[in-house]
Amino acid sequence: MSQGLAGYVIRRLLWTVPVIIAISILVFLLLRLAPQDPIDSLLGQRYDEEIAQRLRQKYGYDRPLHIQYLKYVQNLFQGDLGVSTKHGDFSVAEVIIPKIRVSAGMGIMAIVLVFGLGIPVGVYAALVRGSFLDPLIIGFWLLIDSIPVFVSAVVAPWLFALQLGWVDLTYEGVLHPNIILPVFVMSLPGVAGVARLMRASVIQVSNEEYVRTARAKGLRERTVVVSHVVRNALLPMITAIGLSLPGLFAGSLFVELLFGIPGIARESLQAVLGFDFDVVLGLVLFGSVLFVLANILIDIAYGFIDPRIRITAARGG
Amino acid sequence: MSNRTLGLMMGAVALLIVAVAVVFVLVLSGGDGDDGGDTPARPASDSTDRDDAADDRSTQEADDRDDGDRTTGGICGENRLVTFGDDPATVFDPIQVGDASTAEYTAEIFGGLVTLNLDLEVVPDIAERWEITDGGRVYTFFLRDDVVFHNGRRVTAEDVKYSLERAADPANFSPTVLDYLGDIVGVRDKFNGRADDISGVQVVDEYTLRIELTEPISYFLQQLTYTVAYVVDREQIEDDPNNWTRRPNGTGPFRIKTFRPLEEIVLIPNDRYHLDPPKVDEVVFSLSGGSLSTRFQNDEIHVALVPAVELAGVLSGESELSEFYRPVPQLSFFYLGFNVNEPPFDDPLVRQAFAHAINREAINEVLFFDAALVADGILPPTLPGYSEAISTYPYDPERAAELLAQSRYADDMPRIVLTFSGGGGDPPDNLQAYQQQWREALGVEVEIEAIEWSAYLRELRRGTFQMYSAGWIADYPDPENFLGKLFSGSSRLNHTGYASERVDALLDEAATLNDQEARYRLYHEAEQLIIDDAPIIPTFWTISHYLVRECVQNWVDPGTIVPKYRYIEIDTSGE
Repeated sequence: MSQGLAGYVIRRLLWTVPVIIAISILVFLLLRLAPQDPIDSLLGQRYDEEIAQRLRQKYGYDRPLHIQYLKYVQNLFQGDLGVSTKHGDFSVAEVIIPKIRVSAGMGIMAIVLVFGLGIPVGVYAALVRGSFLDPLIIGFWLLIDSIPVFVSAVVAPWLFALQLGWVDLTYEGVLHPNIILPVFVMSLPGVAGVARLMRASVIQVSNEEYVRTARAKGLRERTVVVSHVVRNALLPMITAIGLSLPGLFAGSLFVELLFGIPGIARESLQAVLGFDFDVVLGLVLFGSVLFVLANILIDIAYGFIDPRIRITAARGG
Repeated sequence: MSNRTLGLMMGAVALLIVAVAVVFVLVLSGGDGDDGGDTPARPASDSTDRDDAADDRSTQEADDRDDGDRTTGGICGENRLVTFGDDPATVFDPIQVGDASTAEYTAEIFGGLVTLNLDLEVVPDIAERWEITDGGRVYTFFLRDDVVFHNGRRVTAEDVKYSLERAADPANFSPTVLDYLGDIVGVRDKFNGRADDISGVQVVDEYTLRIELTEPISYFLQQLTYTVAYVVDREQIEDDPNNWTRRPNGTGPFRIKTFRPLEEIVLIPNDRYHLDPPKVDEVVFSLSGGSLSTRFQNDEIHVALVPAVELAGVLSGESELSEFYRPVPQLSFFYLGFNVNEPPFDDPLVRQAFAHAINREAINEVLFFDAALVADGILPPTLPGYSEAISTYPYDPERAAELLAQSRYADDMPRIVLTFSGGGGDPPDNLQAYQQQWREALGVEVEIEAIEWSAYLRELRRGTFQMYSAGWIADYPDPENFLGKLFSGSSRLNHTGYASERVDALLDEAATLNDQEARYRLYHEAEQLIIDDAPIIPTFWTISHYLVRECVQNWVDPGTIVPKYRYIEIDTSGE
C-alpha cells in the first residue's frame, strides 16, 4: 500500500518537470518577444550605442533566442537564476529570496490568524445556531470581509498609530511588533470564509449518527463537541489550508505597497514594470513550482484521509 | 469515522504544517547563506538585539505620547537622524551609480578631488587646491596629506589615478564615465580598449596629480564632483572583487554601519574625516514602512516627503503638520518638445502659437494642487546661473490664434501627435488640459499617444516624435547641463533637431570661459534665444514638498547629489 503511494508521488513529481519546462519556455518567449528592451530602460537618457552593445553582450541579449534560452536552462541547473538588470550586480536569488522570506513570514502569521480565529468563530456560530448570535457573529466577520484592503490599509494606520498610538508604521522586519498591523489588515478579511466553512462543517457533522450515539452513550456535551464534532469537522480545513499555501509566498500587493513592506508582491510589480527579465522569470518559475507542489501535497493528504482516493492512486490513476 | 481515519487525518495536518515549516526554514537559511557576509544579512543574535532596541524606542515614544508632547522628546531626544530613502538601484560602486538614490549614499561614503557645498559651489575635498593652466586645458591638483580611507590607509595621487582608470576600464561597464570624464585625454581610448592607462592623468608626485583635457571645459570641476570620479580603495577591491561594495572603504564623511536592502541603511561618522566631521551619531535611511507623512505625524521619522495629493491637507492650517512644511525647488523641469524639422513644427510661428495657447497657471492650480512652479525659463531657480530676466510665453489665446494665422500651416494643418511615455489608460491630466486649450485657442486637434518607456527613449533618440512630453534632471549644477546638453546642435541629447548657429556659438564660448559671471551672461543670452525660437515649451519646474522636524538643524535639499548629512545637527535640548 505504501509502495503504491510512493510510486504515485514519484509519478506526480516527474510530471511536474515537463510542466515547469513548458511554463519556462512560455514565459521566456513572452518576455523576450515583448518590444521592451531592458538595456534601453537601464541606460535611460544616458543611452550610448557603444555601452548598450557591450551590456547586451554582457547579459547575452545579442544572441539568438534559443541559445539564450538554453544558456538560461544550463545556468538554472547550476542553481544560477541569472542577474537582475535593475539591481546592479545582484543575482536573482539575492534579490528575491529576502523578499520571499518577508512575504512568507507574513503569510504564515496570516494563516495562523485566519484559521486560528476562523475555526473557533465557526464552531461557536454553529453551536449557537438558531439564536440571534449566529447571524450576528457571521455577519460581523462578513462586514470585515467586505472592507477592501486598500481602504483598511489606509484607515487602520490612522486609527491605531495616530489616534490610539498602539503601533508604529516603520518597517523593522517580519519579527518586529510593527508587523502586526499589516498582518491583521491582510488576514482579517479571510476569517469570514473560514468561519462559514467551519460552521457548515460542524453543523453537518452534528447530524451524523455517531454524534447521536455519543450523546446517547451519555457522554458529556463538552466531550461530544470537542472529541467527536469538532475533530471530524476539521477535515475540510485541510483542503483550505493546503490551497492557501501557495498564496503564502505570493504576498499581498496592497498591503505591501501601502505599508511599504519589502515583499514578493511589490518586487514582482517592480520587476515587471522595470523589464527585469531574469527576476520576472525567476519569480514565475518559483510560483509555478510552488503551485504544483502544493497541489501534490493536497492530493497526498487526501490519500491519507480518504482510502478511496488512495486505492485509485495505487492502481495507477 | 474510525480512530484510524482520525489518526491519518491528524497525520496529514501535521505533514502540512511540517511542510510549511521546512520550506520556511529553507528559505530563511538560504537567504542568510547567500548574503555571505555580515553586512546585508542579519545574523540571528544581531536581530534580537536590534528588536530589543527598537522595542525600547517605541516604548519611549509611547511614553512621550502620553505626556501629550510629541516634538520635544521621542525622535528628537536622540542625536540620530531618521530620514527616508530609496533602495539603492545599484551596488555602492561609484562608477556604477546612475540613479539619484544610490548616488545619495555613495556621496556620503566616498569622496573625490573636489566636492560641492550646500550652495552648490565646487570646494576642495581630497585636493586642497588646484591650478588651471594651458588656457583651461590642464588641471593640477594638490592633494591634502591627511586624507585617509575609513580603514586608516592614506590616500595618494596614485589612488586617484587608479580610481579614474578603473572607471574607464571597459571591463567595468561604467554607464557614466564618458558623460562625466570623457573630456579627459585618453579616457575614450581606455574605454574603447585602445590603451591600458589614461594618458591624460599623470601622477606628478605623491600628492600632486595632473589632469589634461582634450579641450578647455569650464564645468570640468563640476563634473569631477559626480560619483564616477570618486576615489576607491584598490587594496580592498583587489582583495574582494565581488563583495567589497557591501562595506566599501571610502574617504567620505560616513561609513556603512548596516545595510539591509529594502529595510534600512544606517551610516555612522568617519572619525578621521579630513573636513568638518559629522555632528550626528547616526543617519538612518528608512527604505520601507508605511506612509511617510503618517509616520512623520506619529513621530517615527524626522524628515518626510509629502505627495502632491496630500499637500492641500497639510497646508490647510488646521493640520498640525503645516508648521513643519518646507517646499524645495528641484534642479529639474518638464517641457513639451517639438521636432523642428517636421511639419507643422518646422515653422517657429506654430511652435510659438502652441506656447501662447496653454494656461500653465490654471493647470498648476487645478491639477497639481499648486505643487509645481510654472517654468518661466529653462534653468530652474535654484540652479547657479539662473536669471530672473528670462521670460517665456504667457497665456494669451488671442496672440496664439494670430500667430497661427500668420504661419505656413494656417489653412492646412497636418495631423499632430503628442507622444508621452506611459502605460495604458488615460493620458496624464495636464496633457489632456493642453489638448483642450489648443483646441479652444487654435482650433487644432492634437492626438495624444502613449508609448512604453524604453521604446519612448529609443524613438526619442531617433527623433521620430512630432511632439513629445519630457523632463530633465540636472546631473551637475551648471547651466551647460541644461542648455548645452539639450539644445547644442552637436549634443546627442538634443532630440528636437534644433540647431542655431548663434546659440551654438554662445554655448561653445561659455563652455570654455573661466569667468563665472561672464559665462552665466552668455548662457542667459542663449537661454532667451532658445525660448524665442521655441524648440520646446518649458512647462513646470518641480518642487519637492518636505516635512522636517524643527529639532533638525542645517537640513537642506540642494536638489542634486551633495554630501549633506555631515552638516546636520539634532537639537536634543527640547527647546
